[in-house]
Amino acid sequence: MAINIDIPDVGTRESRLGSITGYNGDLHDLVNKSQCGGLKNRDRCFSQSSSCNAGCALGQLSGIRDIAIINHAPSGCSAIAPDVNVANAQLSAKRGVTNSTVFIGTDMNEKDTVFGATKSLRDIVIETYKRYKPKAVFIGTSCVTGIIGEDVDSVVEELKKELPIPIAAVHCEGFRSRIWASGFDECDHAVLSTIVKPAKTKRNVINFKNFFESAREEIIDIFKNFDVEPFFLYQNSTVEELSRLSESLATVCICGTLGTYLGNGLEEKFGVPYVRTINPLGITGFETWLREIGNVINKGTEVEDYIAREREIYIPQIDAIKKELKGLRAVLGMGPGYTFEVSRVLQELGVEVVWAAAWHYDKKYDNGKVPPALDYLLENSPNNFKLSIADQQNFEILNILNKYKPDIYFSRHPGTTVWAIKQGIPALFVADEYMIFGYKGTLSFARTLLDTLKNRSFEKNLAARSKLPYTDWWYKQENGKFLREEHK
Amino acid sequence: MGKCIENPRTSCALGGALGVASGIERVIPIFHAGPGCGLQASIGQKTGYVGGIGCPSTNMFEKEVVFGGTQRLRETIEGSLEVMDGDLYVVLTGCTAGIIGDDVDSIVNEFKTKGVPIVSIDSSGFKGDTYYGYEATLEALVNDLATEHPKEEKTVNLFGIVPHQDAFWQGNFEEIIRILNKLGLKVNTFFTEHQGIETIKKSSGAALNIILSPWLLKNLSKIYKDRFGVDTFRYSGLPIGPTATSNFIRELSQKLNLDRDFVEKVIEEEEDYVYSHFEKNIGVVSNYRFIIVGDANTVIGITKFLVNDYSQVPLLAVITDDIPKVYHEKIENEVKNLEYGRKPKVIFEIDKWKIGELVREYEDEATLLMGSSFEKEIGDELDIFTTLVSSPITGSFIINKGYAGYRGCLTFLEDLYNNN
Repeated sequence: MAINIDIPDVGTRESRLGSITGYNGDLHDLVNKSQCGGLKNRDRCFSQSSSCNAGCALGQLSGIRDIAIINHAPSGCSAIAPDVNVANAQLSAKRGVTNSTVFIGTDMNEKDTVFGATKSLRDIVIETYKRYKPKAVFIGTSCVTGIIGEDVDSVVEELKKELPIPIAAVHCEGFRSRIWASGFDECDHAVLSTIVKPAKTKRNVINFKNFFESAREEIIDIFKNFDVEPFFLYQNSTVEELSRLSESLATVCICGTLGTYLGNGLEEKFGVPYVRTINPLGITGFETWLREIGNVINKGTEVEDYIAREREIYIPQIDAIKKELKGLRAVLGMGPGYTFEVSRVLQELGVEVVWAAAWHYDKKYDNGKVPPALDYLLENSPNNFKLSIADQQNFEILNILNKYKPDIYFSRHPGTTVWAIKQGIPALFVADEYMIFGYKGTLSFARTLLDTLKNRSFEKNLAARSKLPYTDWWYKQENGKFLREEHK
Repeated sequence: MGKCIENPRTSCALGGALGVASGIERVIPIFHAGPGCGLQASIGQKTGYVGGIGCPSTNMFEKEVVFGGTQRLRETIEGSLEVMDGDLYVVLTGCTAGIIGDDVDSIVNEFKTKGVPIVSIDSSGFKGDTYYGYEATLEALVNDLATEHPKEEKTVNLFGIVPHQDAFWQGNFEEIIRILNKLGLKVNTFFTEHQGIETIKKSSGAALNIILSPWLLKNLSKIYKDRFGVDTFRYSGLPIGPTATSNFIRELSQKLNLDRDFVEKVIEEEEDYVYSHFEKNIGVVSNYRFIIVGDANTVIGITKFLVNDYSQVPLLAVITDDIPKVYHEKIENEVKNLEYGRKPKVIFEIDKWKIGELVREYEDEATLLMGSSFEKEIGDELDIFTTLVSSPITGSFIINKGYAGYRGCLTFLEDLYNNN
């Protein structure tokens, strides 16, 4: 489906990418159904609290420096504001820059749900502009504004005439999409449609979409070997820098789920090639990714030289640890941009993946193709492992852990690792998106994995004293019990 | 109230309701709300037996918005009863359910008539803030669960310390409970020492409700009085430090007719404990002219301690709770009811930017600013020594330290010196 940046909102992942949150089966079945188009979502008749696209959309945007996010919603929807403040203060200090971004809520109350609140929204945007002179304003919508039919787009059109800065509505009503990652696309859509300008020139820069740029220095050094500079977004980026995304040589992303809309949008609308390979996690991922970058920017020889040099340093060290990891069994629960990539890395390290759960699944990306990580696993996975798609349904994860009793559980969401720990399963929280990046990250990840397994004192003692909130009945059921039959 | 909420200090009604429901042992909250509400409402809350994203939820999407969500709620409750092991199931409604007008009560009643322990709370986020959710949930639980119970002369119910919203709630509870236990009292809080719904049921037999707040829980107090004849002793603000805590004890003892000599002996021991530490640590904490920003309980408690016990000078007190106007004068008088020193100016303000501008007016005079992590910014900008006493406190890891009572004031002084 072509990307259209001339309309105010982007379609959900369900409609654009055929994304699902309910599935129970195995690797081969999932990929085969994705390729032949037969994959359908299965709803749950019982579910636990999930997450909404607003968090992803506004969370991403709020990392941009010196802007204002106006969340047109009741107060609870702006609960992330204090955390945004902390993240922005710490991450900008780390970079040696400042970030004056403000996150403001319109605090909709009962009266507003009856009479609407577009006037107070207008007033708040204008007051915010007076107070802080932000470089751009992004107005988030919510379940409440969506249901009462608040015409935010018209407010934006009016304000555009009054204020000399880019203003965009970000349509992220919580009920819109089962896929919280739709929020990434809504954020990208707002940036593509209101901030990015056509290129006047080309620069030796590669757009690097990520979360918190923790491997910034390392990547700058790597890219120096190929005479290019990375530009990291959105955390710590400026509106001016984002307006020039079109001038870059290519776009890469640390996570396919995060990057699909921006990467494909920049390619389709502004001619910036999007590097779509498996992700730079683990050895194969890193090398495949680097080679494709070399290919796109015509630096193939330099990339090969770099790979040869680094291999000599790291591969023997990684091989040494692999001996200790061999035969371990793992369960994973992460966003799909990581589940399938980390499964591959674990297999590279000799760890057996017994169950992989992804919080959602994109049947294809915005270029119409199955995510590369799945193609890779279909060809290379030593086993056809079990697999489920569940929007962070903890009860299913704990059932899986109870049945398969793995040596370790991996997650990228702290809310699920704590429950595994309470159930006595050592868990590794893959918090940082660069935790497994490149050779160095892979080595460090292998060491951390070993550390997690070697000292289990906390899990053992805590589990002996904790009662989990699940019935014995539940642990005796199949984990997919509450999935309805496929929609026809 | 100000419609422009820059960095809200409280969550919505749903957040407050979740804080209460998940704070009671073996209670299973069930969200009838949007998919992201569980996550958003649990920001800043810790998970015990269950909480946040582990709670059952109908995750209302477009289909429920258009066609109604009652069938979805019914099946979610059915699933919860099978999967989740609990003593009470509490349905918490969010904005979506509230606006589309789902008849939640009739669904919940279907289960009630079958003997399922289940309650529903109208906690649509737009109804109010954390305090609204806290009050509504406590009222509903007491109304629904408490039954006539034999009087227990030495048992009190302790309310007003709001879970999670008071950044030091666990520690504050622990210290007040310690003191009350020392007076020979058993304490129902519902939120501590693994108290569960049995405690709520029997709370009707308590000799007295203690409400530590100048304004919260008027209806709850009425429910206890009208239905069970339990009186309420309201103490405005958190008792912090020897003067306030001893006052609190003396007033409480009169209400409960405790033996005066015994009570005075307890007070003497506790004051001696605090002053023996004061004595060894003289000259460590400087003299300050201070500004304090936070919830009513914290502002009253810390202002009184610093002025009445520690010779500090108050300049400005900003109360950041969204408190009905009728209580403003009472609260202002309480903050100004000091034994020594000049009286602070008292302002009710929620907006972070406006609070910053207020602080700016005292730039030349103030030497100490106490508030939330939000006030740290203006404090740093104006180079005023700033320490964190009110929510949100985003920079520190708090397990169970508290500022209440005798011992809490020592922790407070440590934090003040260490600039925590």
